[in-house]
Amino acid sequence: MSIFSNSRQIFIWEVCGVLQNQLAIAVGVFTITYVIIMSEKLNRTAVAMVGAFLMLILNVESQEQAIEHIDFNTIGLLVGMMIIVNIMKKSGIFEYIAIKAAKLSKGDPWRILVSFAAITAVASALLDNVTTILLIVPVTLVITDTLRLNPIPFLVPEILIANIGGTATLIGDPPNIMIGSATGLGFLDFVVNLAPVVIVIFVVTMLLFKLIYGKQYYCEDKDKLKILQMNENLAIKDMLLLKKSVVVLFMTIIGFLLHQALGYESATIALFFGALLLLVSGVDVEDVFLEIEWPTIFFFLSLFILVGALEGVGVMEFLAAKLLSFTEGNLLMTAMVILWVSAIASSFLDNIPFVATMIPLIKSLAAMSTINVGPLWWALALGACLGGNGTLVGASANVIVSGMISRHGQKLSFVDYLKVGFPLMIISVIISSIYLIVFYV
Amino acid sequence: MRKLMNAEVMEHTMRLRQMGADVQVINSKMCFVLFQVGEIDVAYCYNVNKKGRYFLERIKPYPLALREFEREQDVIDIIEIDLDQFRNASKSHNIDNFIQINRMIHRTLRKFEDLFLYYNVPPEKADFILEHMREINLEIDKTKASAERVYFKKNPDNL
Repeated sequence: MSIFSNSRQIFIWEVCGVLQNQLAIAVGVFTITYVIIMSEKLNRTAVAMVGAFLMLILNVESQEQAIEHIDFNTIGLLVGMMIIVNIMKKSGIFEYIAIKAAKLSKGDPWRILVSFAAITAVASALLDNVTTILLIVPVTLVITDTLRLNPIPFLVPEILIANIGGTATLIGDPPNIMIGSATGLGFLDFVVNLAPVVIVIFVVTMLLFKLIYGKQYYCEDKDKLKILQMNENLAIKDMLLLKKSVVVLFMTIIGFLLHQALGYESATIALFFGALLLLVSGVDVEDVFLEIEWPTIFFFLSLFILVGALEGVGVMEFLAAKLLSFTEGNLLMTAMVILWVSAIASSFLDNIPFVATMIPLIKSLAAMSTINVGPLWWALALGACLGGNGTLVGASANVIVSGMISRHGQKLSFVDYLKVGFPLMIISVIISSIYLIVFYV
Repeated sequence: MRKLMNAEVMEHTMRLRQMGADVQVINSKMCFVLFQVGEIDVAYCYNVNKKGRYFLERIKPYPLALREFEREQDVIDIIEIDLDQFRNASKSHNIDNFIQINRMIHRTLRKFEDLFLYYNVPPEKADFILEHMREINLEIDKTKASAERVYFKKNPDNL
């Protein structure tokens, strides 16, 4: 009996030892990987992949467990939307809309900015922010060159509005895609809960831009005339493709609006209509797949494995318990902590790994307490998406615009952006705080 | 980087379309090839696209648009012959003159283009330049007739 009892004790110690080792390895690999990703010294995808597969090599999780941790709904939604956008942009529709908007604004710089900001916000709500920026910035550069104006007072608002617009929907920004996929919240849930506050933030931000850059939105009448002489029809590269793309995008949006009622995952909608457009558009399928952002996709895959490993060894439950004890289970306090910590963290760090870590933490919170975590998801979405506006490195869209500006022979420095972006980000988070307090807490 | 390139292409395409152009953007691979022949760099650049067209150009020691090919092997064959000829030529004591003359011809061509595109050239001056060009061509033909041929793997394309 005593021999049996002793061997059982030894077995338990061994198990505890293995678990402690796994915990230490998981936390170590995760922390080192995150620090290297945040330092931006090495390619984030390569670092995340090495970190993810180290978890497997060091037996923190098995390959089967790693695959289970991957959120294929997020991956499918990203790929599906990338297919649709990559085909659609070949038609010239974005250039057409932008030239049309500039002409309707009669070449007036401020009115052009407002119309471009509206296009950016809507496009960003339906496409991801980086794609939106890659479509609107080239057109903006052509317009500002034609008007002989400094492009920066146009591009900085577009950065902020892309990040703001993307906050409004499930598919607008990767953090929302991840939150939606992890929680089962659908396209309509995001629109109903986030679009109202996003509209308010959009209006306030644009008014503040008028105050900040107001004097720079003036040009000579002869330059306005050049805008009116532009021909939007010349921008259309393929009218048939344009029609097909618009019809498929419209059906995709309808699909997103109805996906919960029909019982489909959002990825099913995006991938089905992406595949349909591939079939009917007649474009070279290989070219379309070449344009899919595979590094981003593999970054997501790796993050899911990394965070899944951490979740497996119980770190998320530990952090959730700490958060609960800090906020004493108070919903208002918890929501504000999540909103502000997400916003400040996302200003300086990549919001995708941050949200990937926060999702299991909030889920653990829901399992460990009686808190209604519904508002916490909106706090996370608002914080992570809007926080990206804080600094030039806060979101991929910001970094890309900065790169495009420097290739255009100008410079948007970190400090110059910070002076405008950070205060506007803080204002948007204050508006979000008020919104959450008034409607949810 | 690929994203920035795509955005730049979109910007250029939009400007060119507003100027009335039809712009085709084709995914392709650009290859830069460098050989060291003695002290001379011989460099080529060729573009491979999915339509099976190969655009080959020599960049160094002096630029020469070589033409379009339909087979990858043709590109390699042309480079091989061209390189072989440069290896032969590099042994000649005239190699420095040869390269200098070629570079001068290219510079002259660009200056001549500028002259006609930027200035109203009197007809007698155009005739004068044409006459000199004829003389140079004649001199090349006369030199060919009296010089010993040293390369036989391929016949000349222009002589």
